Amino acid sequence: MYDVVVIGQGLTGMLSAIWTKEEGASVAIISQGTGRILQSTGVMDILPGTEGTMNDLIRKYQIKGWNSLLVEGGIDRFKTLMVQLGNPYQGSIEQPVEIVTGSGFLKSTALYPTTVSPIPHKGHVVVVGFQEITDFQPSYVAENLASERPELTIDHFSISLEQRSHRTMTQLDAARLLEQKEVRNQVIQRLKDKMKESSIHKSDLVILPSVLGVIGWESVWKDFKNQLDTTITEAVGMPPNATAIRLHEQLHRETTRLGVRQYLNSKVVGSKQGKQTIESVMVRNANHTIEIKGTSFVLATGGILGGGMEKMASSITETTLGLEVDQEGNLINPYDNLYLVGASQGLRVTSHGITGGIFSILSSYETVIKNNYRQPLGGEQHDKLTRHQL
Amino acid sequence: MINLPDTSYDQCLKCNACVVSCPVSNATLDFGGPKHLGPELKRLMENQELIDDPRIELCTLCGNCDLSCPEDVHVSSLTAQAKAIHAEISGTKFRDKILSQAEIMGKVASTFAPITNTVMKMKPLRKAMQKIMGIHADRKFPEYQFKNFNRTYKKKTANTKRKVAYFVGCYATYNAPQVAEAFVEVMSYNGIEVAKPDQHCCGIPMLANGQIEQAMKNAKFNVKSLLEYTRKGYDIVLTCTSCTTALKKEYPEVLKIEGAKELAEHVFDADEYLRMLHEEGEMNTNLAPMSVKAGYYAPCHMKAQGIGNPAMDVLELIPGYEIQDLAAGCCGQCGTFGFKEEKFEISLKMGAPMKQAVEELDAEYTVTECGMCKTQLDQLTDKPVKHPMEIMAEAYRKAVVY
Repeated sequence: MYDVVVIGQGLTGMLSAIWTKEEGASVAIISQGTGRILQSTGVMDILPGTEGTMNDLIRKYQIKGWNSLLVEGGIDRFKTLMVQLGNPYQGSIEQPVEIVTGSGFLKSTALYPTTVSPIPHKGHVVVVGFQEITDFQPSYVAENLASERPELTIDHFSISLEQRSHRTMTQLDAARLLEQKEVRNQVIQRLKDKMKESSIHKSDLVILPSVLGVIGWESVWKDFKNQLDTTITEAVGMPPNATAIRLHEQLHRETTRLGVRQYLNSKVVGSKQGKQTIESVMVRNANHTIEIKGTSFVLATGGILGGGMEKMASSITETTLGLEVDQEGNLINPYDNLYLVGASQGLRVTSHGITGGIFSILSSYETVIKNNYRQPLGGEQHDKLTRHQL
Repeated sequence: MINLPDTSYDQCLKCNACVVSCPVSNATLDFGGPKHLGPELKRLMENQELIDDPRIELCTLCGNCDLSCPEDVHVSSLTAQAKAIHAEISGTKFRDKILSQAEIMGKVASTFAPITNTVMKMKPLRKAMQKIMGIHADRKFPEYQFKNFNRTYKKKTANTKRKVAYFVGCYATYNAPQVAEAFVEVMSYNGIEVAKPDQHCCGIPMLANGQIEQAMKNAKFNVKSLLEYTRKGYDIVLTCTSCTTALKKEYPEVLKIEGAKELAEHVFDADEYLRMLHEEGEMNTNLAPMSVKAGYYAPCHMKAQGIGNPAMDVLELIPGYEIQDLAAGCCGQCGTFGFKEEKFEISLKMGAPMKQAVEELDAEYTVTECGMCKTQLDQLTDKPVKHPMEIMAEAYRKAVVY
């Protein structure tokens, strides 16, 4: 018996689990594979795929009941968590900034990791790619960036990581390589040499693919920044982005460290329902079916993109619990103890088919606030003992 | 030609989730990675000639790819097949044949236990062994026990209401009989008798070394032997998470052994079994308080079972017992992988985050169910390592005196 059972381990699932656990609840996560966070960029847009303010988001998604207290509380809590996890996020929802993507075009985002910097309007920029990484092409990035920011002076070139690889290298592979000090120093030296060769004496910003380390990002970022004596930014683009993997690994580790019980690679095959509540879910893994009971349930299955919903010719089905939903994916008969987060709330909350970003953060936070768990007197251990004896 | 069971990979979208989560891919660029050597290679071979890709040697069959796949592709079944193809076409090294025979090794080594253990600690001999056999000289070996569990425990039936048939596994039989004894003791405190059916090595080390035929032979023997028990109302319980995964998943899904699905429904990890007893209100909770701060290291093959964290669930029933999940990834020993000369460095690199997590937590000892994870913990950390059953047995024992 858990206080809260979360289904799904993407951004919304992990944030909901971490925050309810911090409130003193006993929490389980049921998941079938990793969430879409692995294919994301790890930056938090207000309206993914388009520009807009918080008011636009609230209007577009027809959100009710988000007051300033909830919005500020949610953003603060996310930022506090990311500081604790050693990956502070910059920015604010009041003043979104423009950052460069792996294609060279700009996009508007609200919160972003330290390794990402906003793109200035004027100055000298150098786009640096790696010969081994084929899905980041500096010339292409430079050309598109020039169309967005005509007043920038842009240079571009590629250098080699000079590492033998038996597979096509990704940005993540480069990120892990650059965590090794020796490799990093050699790469920075090659970058400097190339700048000299191209008669670039000083630049205001160096743009790199999303490769500035994973857990050890801070030393990678600092070394590039200090040794090149310039601002640097990762251009987020084709997955796997180091920015997303970093966020995923930190949230996943925190979920585990807090003692959230994880039922991995597990398919929900049924549920037991009371009149207005869900009492338990039946879960299948490894040719076993087990029943997981909970006081409340959080559906964080990511909508159509995350696999929690399927679009048929004329209708939408909810794939996890078999709930009845309308043509927009809205729940027809809500349960008292079932909370829907992120894209599980149906099509009205997805922009271009995706959620993520600020909406996911605030929607997870709202779930935790509604659930309202507080650690009882005597601490968790005591609480657990009493519950077991009952 | 080898006969490979059919495994579906059509759902693979090449999203890279498996590559991102693969502990070997994250440690070395020499490995082709689960996506390429699993679904992509299979797609390439469909209705064509078999392709022998030697990079598959670096796959440890830890199963993290399966856990990460959002599309429910059983990636490790495909990499196990690539291993079998590689072994068939390129042959298996003498060393790998020996290492995959955990049971024979156990029988021989435990018979000469005092000598084996001494020899395995002698540097010059280990250096020679590395040269001849390719087993790294710096790898600490698990000790073998002369009084192995096969010599001391012969009970074939149980006469209590709940009956347990114990699949002991090579490690608890030959290296750590104290774990097996602790399990029997814990069961007896719960009024349950334990039978030990006829059994052979689960076959996981064979599968990991591409010896799919031998693995099938062992699996068939075990399924037949254990079904005789489940059909008489026994539950099959195990203390080794890799053997448990073999019985629950690899037999029915990778090797597709007849009767394996029926058997799998009755298979439990020991902690999972105790937790189930507790949930049913049948568990003896007369456990002596223990003032201990321990770290828990979760084996990959425990996570693969999708059972939450039963070891911590039952240990937390001990009053005063504090246990913290180390939240570290794969240990890097991965069965026979970490013994091999050419994989030793990668193995240590894979285990580095675990080492760091153990040092940072600085608990009294580390708890883990897996004997091979223990081998790596012994190699990389100074903390003692205990099996959950040893701790539970202690808590029961002290409660009686108390």
